Amino acid sequence: MNIAVLVKQVPDPNAVRLDRRSGDILPGTPLVPNEYDLVAAEAAVRLSETFENVQIVAVAAGNARETLNRCLAMGVDRAVVLATPSSALDSLGTARVLASWLKQETFDLILTGQEASDGGTGNVAPQLAALLGLPLVSNVIGLEYQNDALTLKREIEDGHQVVTVQTPAVLSVLTALNEARHPTLKGIMASRRKPTETHSADISPEELAPVVRWGSLFADEQTAAGVMVRDEAPDVLVDKLMAFLEERKLIEPA
Amino acid sequence: MGQNILIFGETTEDGHLRPSTTELFGPGRALADQLGGSLNVALFGGEISPAQAEAAQFGSDRVLTAISDLLRDITVDAYSVALESAIVAADAAIVLLSGTTAGRDLAAYVSGRRGAAHLVDAVHVAIEGQEVVVRRPVFQGKLQTEARAHLGETLFVTVRSGSYAAPTAQTGRAPETAQLNVALDAADLRVKVVDLLESKAGSTNLEAADIVVIGGRGLGEAANFTLAEQLAEAFGGAVGATRAVTDLGWRPHYDQVGQTGRVIAPKLYVGVGVSGAVQHTVGMRGSETVVAINRDPDAPIFKLADFGVVGDLFEIVPLLIERVREARTK
Repeated sequence: MNIAVLVKQVPDPNAVRLDRRSGDILPGTPLVPNEYDLVAAEAAVRLSETFENVQIVAVAAGNARETLNRCLAMGVDRAVVLATPSSALDSLGTARVLASWLKQETFDLILTGQEASDGGTGNVAPQLAALLGLPLVSNVIGLEYQNDALTLKREIEDGHQVVTVQTPAVLSVLTALNEARHPTLKGIMASRRKPTETHSADISPEELAPVVRWGSLFADEQTAAGVMVRDEAPDVLVDKLMAFLEERKLIEPA
Repeated sequence: MGQNILIFGETTEDGHLRPSTTELFGPGRALADQLGGSLNVALFGGEISPAQAEAAQFGSDRVLTAISDLLRDITVDAYSVALESAIVAADAAIVLLSGTTAGRDLAAYVSGRRGAAHLVDAVHVAIEGQEVVVRRPVFQGKLQTEARAHLGETLFVTVRSGSYAAPTAQTGRAPETAQLNVALDAADLRVKVVDLLESKAGSTNLEAADIVVIGGRGLGEAANFTLAEQLAEAFGGAVGATRAVTDLGWRPHYDQVGQTGRVIAPKLYVGVGVSGAVQHTVGMRGSETVVAINRDPDAPIFKLADFGVVGDLFEIVPLLIERVREARTK
């Protein structure tokens, strides 16, 4: 079984701050693996531990060297970087870059995170499925594989839906699917002997021109005219909160 | 190029419009008027007569239907074919969908096939010149931006639920109706729905509670969720969780407040270790008074909070539990 795991490197969600002058996030914000994508990598590695002859490739459009290395250390077999002519790809451009390479090979399963923590469009997996003509299952929180058939549990508005699909298929996953392992020292050592290839995407610049463009970033100005308390001893903070709750008559006798 | 608007009318299992779909009629009408076009609604399913009546009451000019057993379950394979047919029939410039799981899957899939723009998660939609402009949260709700796409090829917009109010329903309207010719074969449905493990009502009635305590990922691990439970008990309220928490499996899905969960509007909302990602806040924006306890002063939840406590919840919550118990037994 051949599995492709699509990964992205994103600005650390905990470190994202607005730079008001540039209308962008602060320069130098560290990049980290997109959390959902590591869950996808973990799902692939678990399949390789359960079944024989599973080959996993982690693929990124554009620079994601550290994230790919992390995947290799988790147990992914090889990594592919698809160099892009432009760094300003929108989700459709990203899907096209990925499709241009993925369609040259044969995959039983293409796994990725439900969305990235930066743009958060969730577009890439469905757009890629459409470009490759493969079925899509999103919001995956449970995965069973047997004889080319997948039984998947997915989170939807009405509860947990169970679906079946034959491979090949594109799946986008949520964190409830599993907990991504931390690479072991042995895994890290082994990853150094694993190949990382770089390919230039075989696709014309016109096809990569963004159809969606972002303006400047701004903070939500709809701040509640609220009170914030901080930098005091916990009991003082709790005193102030209790005074607020009592003033608003929100604590009623039992 | 078309100048009409097409709403994807997502329906429930019993054939009614989903509430999030009814919210599309206000912006749909405004966009149609601006383009000088008509407002069309596409309804797919097995039994959709309640939704047909509702689509009329909410003010559509034209209702396009596709009725088939193969459209009973919402699947991307079947619904993308039906939607393509509706886009052609409506001569649509813009397709509006609600930002549900189905809406987002479908808009992204069909936009991918057509090489078209899909503007996601819109909290506001407008036309400026030859462009569609949406305001949307990014970076998990910490920041916002305006995303733009050129009018021309049919483009797709998914609207975050709760962004617009549904218009008042009016009886006596009679929109034009048309049946779509959707050629579907059972073999086209590659993904098969086999079961739905329904959300239970939950151990507590979150929607009816005056006070709701929500535990977020800041609780660190499943075992610490008892802190949120004890605080809720002290207040005499109910306890719920964020999507991050149900995603991690610390709490069952049916305790989730937010985008794919339940919508609450209590007198008092207390967020414990809740960052305020939009996936959650869409389900709690109607709360009267919002209290948030979080270590990160930049957490977006503080933007919604009437009272924010920046600090270590493991120090603050146990003290608060004690004080609330005392106050209520006085």
